[in-house]
Order: sequence, then structure tokens, then C-alpha cells
Amino acid sequence: MKIWKRARQVVEKSKEKPSPPSHQKEPAPVSLDSLKKDLTDIDDAVFKEYQTKDGLVTVIYLSSLIEPVLLHKIIILPLVNDKGEVMNSFDAIDGWNKQKLLMAIVNGDTVIFNHKKQQYLLAHTFSPPERSITSSENEATVLGPQDSFTESLKANLSLIKRRVHQTGLKSKDYTIGQETNTKISIMYIEHLVNDENLKRIKERIQQLDFTGYVDIVILKQLLEDNPYSPFPQYGATSRPDAAVNSLLDGRIVVAMENSQTVMICPSSFLEMFNSPEDYYNRWTTATLLRILRFAGFFITIMLTPTYISALSYHPGILPFELLIMTMESRSRVPFPPVIEVLFIELIIEVLKEAGSRMPSKVGQTIGIVGGIVIGTAAVQAGIVSNTLIVLVAVSALLSFLMPSYLMSNASRFVRYIFILAAGLFGLLGQMLALAWLLNHLLNLTSLGTPYMTPVIPRSWSDMFDSVIRFPLTYVQKRTGMSRAKREKKPTK
Amino acid sequence: MDVSKKKILNGYHVVFLVQNIMVGMGLLSMNNSLSPLGYSQWWVPILFGVIANLTIIPMIWLNLQYKDDDLFDIHEKLLGKWMGKSLNFILLLYAIILFSAVIDSYLELIQISILPERSINGHLIFFILITVFIVKGGIKSLARFCILTFFLTGWMAYFLRWGMESGEIRHLLPLFNFTGKEFLEATKSGYNSIVGYELIMFFFPYIRKPEKAFKHSSIGIWLTVFFYLMVGIVGVMYFTEWQLEHILFPVLKLFQAVDLSFVERIDKIGITLWVFLILTTAGAYLWVAKKGLDSLRNKNSQYHIYAVAILTYVVINLPISQIIRKTFYERTFYFSYGFILWPILLCLVHLVRRRKMR
Repeated sequence: MKIWKRARQVVEKSKEKPSPPSHQKEPAPVSLDSLKKDLTDIDDAVFKEYQTKDGLVTVIYLSSLIEPVLLHKIIILPLVNDKGEVMNSFDAIDGWNKQKLLMAIVNGDTVIFNHKKQQYLLAHTFSPPERSITSSENEATVLGPQDSFTESLKANLSLIKRRVHQTGLKSKDYTIGQETNTKISIMYIEHLVNDENLKRIKERIQQLDFTGYVDIVILKQLLEDNPYSPFPQYGATSRPDAAVNSLLDGRIVVAMENSQTVMICPSSFLEMFNSPEDYYNRWTTATLLRILRFAGFFITIMLTPTYISALSYHPGILPFELLIMTMESRSRVPFPPVIEVLFIELIIEVLKEAGSRMPSKVGQTIGIVGGIVIGTAAVQAGIVSNTLIVLVAVSALLSFLMPSYLMSNASRFVRYIFILAAGLFGLLGQMLALAWLLNHLLNLTSLGTPYMTPVIPRSWSDMFDSVIRFPLTYVQKRTGMSRAKREKKPTK
Repeated sequence: MDVSKKKILNGYHVVFLVQNIMVGMGLLSMNNSLSPLGYSQWWVPILFGVIANLTIIPMIWLNLQYKDDDLFDIHEKLLGKWMGKSLNFILLLYAIILFSAVIDSYLELIQISILPERSINGHLIFFILITVFIVKGGIKSLARFCILTFFLTGWMAYFLRWGMESGEIRHLLPLFNFTGKEFLEATKSGYNSIVGYELIMFFFPYIRKPEKAFKHSSIGIWLTVFFYLMVGIVGVMYFTEWQLEHILFPVLKLFQAVDLSFVERIDKIGITLWVFLILTTAGAYLWVAKKGLDSLRNKNSQYHIYAVAILTYVVINLPISQIIRKTFYERTFYFSYGFILWPILLCLVHLVRRRKMR
């Protein structure tokens, strides 16, 4: 601590005077050897010595994080050729603070040690191999911009900032994770965002005590209000236009290094069914699609359970012809409907999982095998009924209507609760499970705001942009969810 | 979550709480329990609405005098500690018995109508679990659930269309074709379909704008009356007098008149969807019982909900014959009529005490 205090004093002193020659002549406490000791067994750590006009110079960097051409161009060539004041072009770095020096090195910067002056200098050379900006694979749309976030935080920030040209858009950086020291950036528009929300998310991030963040999804789960819920409580998107849309609504967007999605908070249940494309389409099409997705969620969790309870508890609810048809197709099936449904649902789950994990060439084979085995052979063998195959296929398709992948996973999970409830208790069990689900959703909060916002209205204007999207002239107010400082959007 | 905050109920919460606690098993058998009046019964819900609206005045007035107290606290303040506690104990028992009565009668109906010859013990446990789950979030959770319930079940009124089509409109007249004795009999058995609004005395301290509570609860009452009136009219149009007297759950029969191409027995779906209405009613009584235990033991604890739930399970499974149980529940409902009038007495006590204080 003492060293830290002293170092801070020195830094403050150095700030007062732009180029203080006094402490530069003193020998830096952090010796090159101690740095070397800390960097032992890191084989890509490079210590290279060059003879320049200013004396002997040691260049320290991690070669895996820096592109060699760049390093050569901006550091080594100028140093060796020594065209004038090369050394002044680098930033000075506090030579007393060993931690800072080491952090700079592992962050991909280059540290230059001047032996004569006993002075450390820093050059920003972090240039890892990066993927170029491509179109979004998980959230592809027909209309609208096609670019999507990459794994680089800088590129992601630029994708957002190139869409919002103003100084009100703030991006506050934090470093989190004990071991990984991952950089995150909290973005918001200052005059729109709700201060309470902002305070809350900052507090939560500072309270976090977690070793490593590999993707923002982990951070998201740690920040959520109810970690036990099957439902995602913050939005996630890999599309910059969606991120900007929510920024303009007064939300907070959190981006993380090495993660190709950003987190949007707070976010409501109904927004999980919205795609950015809804705003590019005409309002009629958008409304149609939204109703489809929203109804799709409830149908996908209710369809096969209803099959179970209708066949095993209340055959009376089906009309005569429908009952005959279903019973005929089930005539060779020896299991009760619950087993039948669980069997085929699990097989579909396995197919989905296998299809997404397999290399793409093998994946096609899996599709064919699945289609033939499940579609034809299982029915002919009398393991499942034809009708059920149709229902399961429909509910599997419907579960993928949702633009949010985490939401569609949630619907997959919730469906099993309904299947079990229907198998054990029939239609009543299904309704009780629905009561559980709705009550759970009603009690969920996202960053302290109710998750089911338009149902628990914060403002009635939310209704214009819920399941039905009215023409954009009606969508004039910012949503109640975000509790923005300025409610009205300036339109017209 | 917002359990800890005190003032949490907005206006619309009050409207739907009052409305949904009132609607429950009573509506299913309303036409039947009003059957002593014959065809003249259809306008009686309006009368009940007026009575309910009148009897809610002393309740709200009393609560306005003690803004931060529910009825349990008011009892202790007005009648002294000993008296108040023993009264609260009776109230606690009342809430527990009504909670079990509501669940028991609903599940019995379920067993008769859609799950014949099956054990419903599992359903009972599942039902109580869900109720506990709803009440655990506090009164606001219940209120939110009430709002959702209204929209989930309110559309079922559309099913009355078919009953109306095949009904006979001339049944609606004459209006006053009954004797005083018949009227009293019908009121005695029929008024229990409208009880439930008296629970406002317990969630009153949570209301954000207490001075507007009367308006909001009246809206709730008249929403209920609107639905009751619709069912009353269609029931009278559709059934004969003999049927009104002998069909126990006329609403289910009305559902059976529905003619859709993809569903045969809409009443089975209707009766299972009814579980939402039962859940709100049962949840409200469970919540009151929890509050009663809180006030008896002088501490707030979530475990009280579990205690009440387990007790209810035991009460429902007591080895008592069906007839005794039925009469017992019925008596408890009559007790609730007294309970509705009870605040008037409390108001008088309050006035006397205030005069004495001066």
C-alpha cells in the first residue's frame, strides 16, 4: 500500500509538471530483472535490446498479441534508424508501479526501457488477429443493415458509435474478473438513461466477485435479478441496430471484450419476441409476425401436453371425427401418451443438439437419419403415432420462431414441465402449470423493473409497440420499461 | 422484490383484486342457488351489487380511520389485546376453513365432471403448492395474478352466445314472481357467490391512494355484477325452471351448448380454466390466514404460509363424512354474512371510544 500511495503521489506530481526531469534521473525501483522474473515461462514474452542514440534500450512485449509487421514499423524501425525524437513519441509510464507495467505487457502493449535514463515508455501495439465484420448468423434479417458485432470490443464500440453521432453517448470502461481481467464497456445516452438503472447496474458490476468471464452471457447470468428462473432477464443481441435502438430508448448496453453479443438491460418478456426487422417492415407485416411469435410461444409449450391430457384423461374434449382419427393413428402404439410424447420430444432434443454440435458435413447425414428414422420408421414400427409426429414437429418449429435464442431454449425447458403436469394431472395440471408460469413471469424483474411490463402497465403508450406494432407515428413515447428521462421521442 | 414496501397497490390492482376474489365457485352454481326465485332471479345480482356496495362503506370508513392497520390490528386497538386476539383467532380459523372450502368444493367438482374415478390427492397438493407460490410474492403478486386472471377468463363470457341463441327471451318477465320467503331463501344461499369483497379490510393498508379505494372497489364490485348479470340472464333464458332447480352447476351446462368444430366438450376446458378464478380466491384467503398468524404471533414470517397450507391439507383430508363437511362449509359461508355486517358494529365501537377519549 505504501508503494501505491507513493506512486500515486508521484503520478500527481508528474501531472502538475508536463515533463519533470527530476525523477527521471532517479533509478526506477522496478528493475528489468524483476520484470523478467515475473515473465519467466511465458515463452512468447520477448526482451530485445537495441542500441540507439539515447543508449541501450530494451523492448518488452508478448509476441502472440502483437502483429510483427506493426511492431517492426512503429517501434523497431524508428528506434534503430533513430530519426530525431523517437523516444518522445511514446507515452511515459510510471516506472514504480510494477503491477501496471505487467498489466500493460499482458494487455498487448509494448514496454520500452531506456537504460540510460532508467525510464519506462509505453506504446499501444495491441493487435491480435481479428475476424472481419460479417453478417449476423444467429439473427439474420432480410431488411436492414447486415453488419454484426465481432469479438473485438473496439470494433463493437465503433459499430455502435458510427450510428450515434453525439457526445451524449457515453461508454464507461471497467475491468472485471479476478483472473481474466476482462474489459467491459457500459454504454448509455446520458440525457435519456434512467439514473437509478445506471447506478444499479454499476453497483452490481462492482460487487461481482468472479474469476473469469469468457463471454458476456456469463456476466449476464450473474447480474440477473433471479438466477433460478429459466427465462433470460436481459436482452442479448449481436446486431448493432438493435443495440442502438435500445440505447435510443434509454436502455443500458453492456459490451465485453471477446464476446460477439452485447447485453441490453432492462428488457421485458414481450421484447424477447421482437426482432429489429419489425421496425423495417410495414406495420401490418410486423404485427402479423409478432402475433405469430407470441402465440407460437404459448402453442409450443401447450400443444403436446394437450395431446397427452386429451388422450389420457379427457377424450371427450375432442370432436368425434378428430378422436377417431387420433385413436386410429395411435392404435398400434403400446405406450401411454406421456411416454410416447416424452420419447419423441427427447429424440427431437437429441437431434437438435446433435445437429448443432456435429461438423456441418456430418450434420446433413444426421438430418436425413433423423428424418427417416423418426418420420417413417418409428411410426411404422408402432413406437409413436403419426399425429404426434406432426404435433411435435410443429411445436419444435414454433419454438424457433422467437428471435431470442435464450428464449426459445426457455420454451423448450418449460414445455417439459407442462408435459409432466399434463401426464400427471391432466388438463387441470396443465392449467395449474400455466398459473405457475404466469405467476413466475409476473414476479420476475429485470433490473428492478417488472418483466411483464405491458401487462403490468408502466405507461399505456407501451401498448402501441407490444404484440401489435402500430405505425411508427404512434410509437412516439419511449417505453415504460426503460423509464427514460425524456419520455417523448421527437418525431415529425 | 417489493414485498417489504408498504404502499404497493395501485388503483387497478384494487379493482381486479376485489373483482377476482368475488368470482369463484359461486358463479358456477349461481343460477341454481337463486332458483327459489324461479325465472325472476336474473336481476338479483344487481340487488346484491347494491347491497355489497352499501356494506363496503362502513368497511372503508373504518379503515380510513386507521390508515396503516388491517382488520387484525384494528381489532386489537378497538377491543383490547385479549378480546382482539381471540377474535383474530376466530378470523384465522375462518380464513383457513374458507380456503379449504374453496379448494375442496372446486376439486370435488373436478372429480365429478372431468376426472371420474381418479384420485385427486395429487391435484390437491399441486393446487396448494401453486397457491402458496402465488401468495409468497405478497399481496401485489396476488393482485398482478388477478389482473391476468381477468383477461384470461373474462373472454369465456363469449361462450354464453350459444346459450342465448337457443334461449327463450320471454323467460325474463315477470320480474317479481316470488314471495318474501322465497326471496330470503334465495338470498341466503345465493349471496355467497358475491362474498369476498370484505377482504378489502385486510389489504387496505397496502393501497397507495386510500381515499380513492371506495371508487375502485365499487368498480370491482360492479364488474363482477356485470358478469353475474350476463350469466343470470342467459341462464334464465336457456333453462327451464325445473332445470334451474336441479342442475347444480348451470354454467357448465351453458358451456356444453357451445358448438365448435375443433372442440367437443368446451365445458371441460372451461372448468379447468376456472382454476385461475379459484386460485385468486383461495390465494386471497391464504394470504389473510397468513396475516392472521402474523398478527397472532406478532412477527412476520413466510413460514406462516407453509403452516397454513399444511393445516389446510390436513383439514381437507380429515376423515369426516361428506355431509358433515358440506354443512360445515355452508355454516362458514353464513358466518361470512355476519362478517360483512361486523364492521358496522366496529364503527359504532370506534365512535363510542372516540367520544370517550374526548
